[in-house]
Amino acid sequence: MANGKLKVGVIGCGNIFNLAHKPALEKIQSIKVAACMDVDEERAVKGAKYFNAKAFVDLNEFLDLDLDVVEILTPTYTHAELALAALKRGKHVIIEKPIALTSEEAEKMIKVAEKEGLKLFVGHVRRFDKRWVQIKDVIKNRNILPMQIKKNEVQGLPFPSDYWYWDESKSGGVALDLGVHVTDFLRWLFESEPVEVFGSGKMIKEQARERNTYDHFVMMIKFEGGKLGIAEVSWAYPYPARYGVFYHHLDIIGKNGRIRYTPMDTPVVGVAKSQFEMPRFSPLLSTFPDAFERELRHFFECIREDKEPTVSAKDALIALKIAEKAKESAKLGKSVEFGGGEE
Amino acid sequence: MKKLNFGIISYAHPHALRYGQTIAENRKARLYAISGDGANSGVAKGEAKKHKAKFYKDYESLLRDENVDAVYVAIETYRHKEIAIRAAEEGKHILLEKPIALTLEDADEIIKTAEKNDVKLMVPFNPRFTSPLIKAKSMIDAGEIGNLEYINAISEYVKPPIYLQGLDMSWFFDVKKSGGGGFMDTAPHGIDSLLWLTGSMPKRIFADIGSKIYGFPVDDVGTAFLEFENGVMAILSAGWGNPKGYPYGLEIKYYLVGKEGFLDVRTAYPDFAVYQDKTERIYWERPDVQGIVNTFIESILKDKEPPITGKDAKNNLIIVLSAYESSRTGKVVKL
Repeated sequence: MANGKLKVGVIGCGNIFNLAHKPALEKIQSIKVAACMDVDEERAVKGAKYFNAKAFVDLNEFLDLDLDVVEILTPTYTHAELALAALKRGKHVIIEKPIALTSEEAEKMIKVAEKEGLKLFVGHVRRFDKRWVQIKDVIKNRNILPMQIKKNEVQGLPFPSDYWYWDESKSGGVALDLGVHVTDFLRWLFESEPVEVFGSGKMIKEQARERNTYDHFVMMIKFEGGKLGIAEVSWAYPYPARYGVFYHHLDIIGKNGRIRYTPMDTPVVGVAKSQFEMPRFSPLLSTFPDAFERELRHFFECIREDKEPTVSAKDALIALKIAEKAKESAKLGKSVEFGGGEE
Repeated sequence: MKKLNFGIISYAHPHALRYGQTIAENRKARLYAISGDGANSGVAKGEAKKHKAKFYKDYESLLRDENVDAVYVAIETYRHKEIAIRAAEEGKHILLEKPIALTLEDADEIIKTAEKNDVKLMVPFNPRFTSPLIKAKSMIDAGEIGNLEYINAISEYVKPPIYLQGLDMSWFFDVKKSGGGGFMDTAPHGIDSLLWLTGSMPKRIFADIGSKIYGFPVDDVGTAFLEFENGVMAILSAGWGNPKGYPYGLEIKYYLVGKEGFLDVRTAYPDFAVYQDKTERIYWERPDVQGIVNTFIESILKDKEPPITGKDAKNNLIIVLSAYESSRTGKVVKL
């Protein structure tokens, strides 16, 4: 920790780095981005230049550096390998969601982090989004007691079919990639554990059919105490591709009230030009840019002060397990028990 | 032109109030008689006076009145079969509240008897008669959003019947009389709209329905996943999900996802808002009940099949009962 600042190295200088993490990291005074690594040298150099840091294409050379924290912002299928390598070299790890491609990998990552006495944080950024944080507060303060929560996270994924998102062996598909956001969200708001999971998917866009992966997926997740979570995640909404519009809809029905949210009723920005454009927060992102900043500030603080985070790697693991169960259910055509394998 | 003479049998279901008014205002119909069977017989009597209709204490005498051409039956669901069969035998056309009956066997008997006696039988489901949904359907049929892929029937919610004042709604909480609670009360409307929009029947249903909110002896809210034979997937949430302070008494919304377009049906019932010490939404258009009454009358006068037949209503009941079965067993129900 030079000058008391945490030394951060970034692996993966693609979309989520450039759109979300770069502007957030820039605003945080208590850290210094010391290195940027990417398999694509140009991206690594560009990222490093921005922070006046060193650029790397080789993982070992990157990890040789005296870094406190490694941020992993790469495609999902590389998460486990990179996180394990960083942890074994004594670095704390902050990783984008989903924690890993499989729960087996995630369990191993958690075990190694515990063994090494290092932090492993997963970027479940919903937990730092003003909207959801405030709704969570209202639920608590007004004793809403949610019994049924429906959460939709939908977009028209603007990428061509050769992009890694459309490769299920790299992203896990929409059920995993967006699914973990919603499964974690439901568990967070219910403050209950899942008992049974039903899932079903469709292939709607050409990219999905071509790559044989669902781009539209619904889940019904039964939680303890008769609570029901309904998740819809989609890359297939036919919204204008230009901004990769991303929508959340939320409907909570509780014993003491109902809470509804949709940006369609209260648009943040609506644009009428020669063609109507949908309201949007920011290009491509599913949340407000400052949610990422709050998330990272929180994680860095937990590292510096050795505190427990708002959302743990175990939470991320459970979110992943629910999504995996939903995929299993879709495959089997029946609902599956959570935890105990098949019904 | 001779007007059709309508009889209303029972005000047990609160819909009778709106139907009575709508029939009375219809140019081709006359609200001729009302019978006071079942719950709310006092209300039935008062409405008869208000509409200057004959009042009969029981349906049997109303059905034997030769001047009655058609009946709207709003009695407790468990008595649908008994009354529909007698009405058919007396040659009266029948507009029968939903659900058609408690069981599929009862539904079959009703359908058979109506056919045998050559009377029209229609069961009213509202959303497909609303102008926003009619518009959406015509856009889908014209291919404006491409192939229909997914329907999120966001909300088929009403407030629980305990908040209806001046009416005895206790039978809604007795499963032997109603067949179920909030889901049975409102889901048939949403299911009908799904059948109509997709033009297909579901092949798989998974549902979770329960007494989750109020602690009633019957279910209050439920959600069903439906996969249709033509590949459309749908999520339908229904029931008594609206709290007392909710600005809408009734709210129906859909997101319709096509391969090339997205339809946002923000409400099936257009409204404006009134703000005082609470917020109230007032519908400026309820074409649904009018549309139902009009098409029913037209099917009688022109001797046509009604847009929603007994068989449609039976299919609807199959789906509702399958959803309850899925919820009870925790298993996917295949049709």
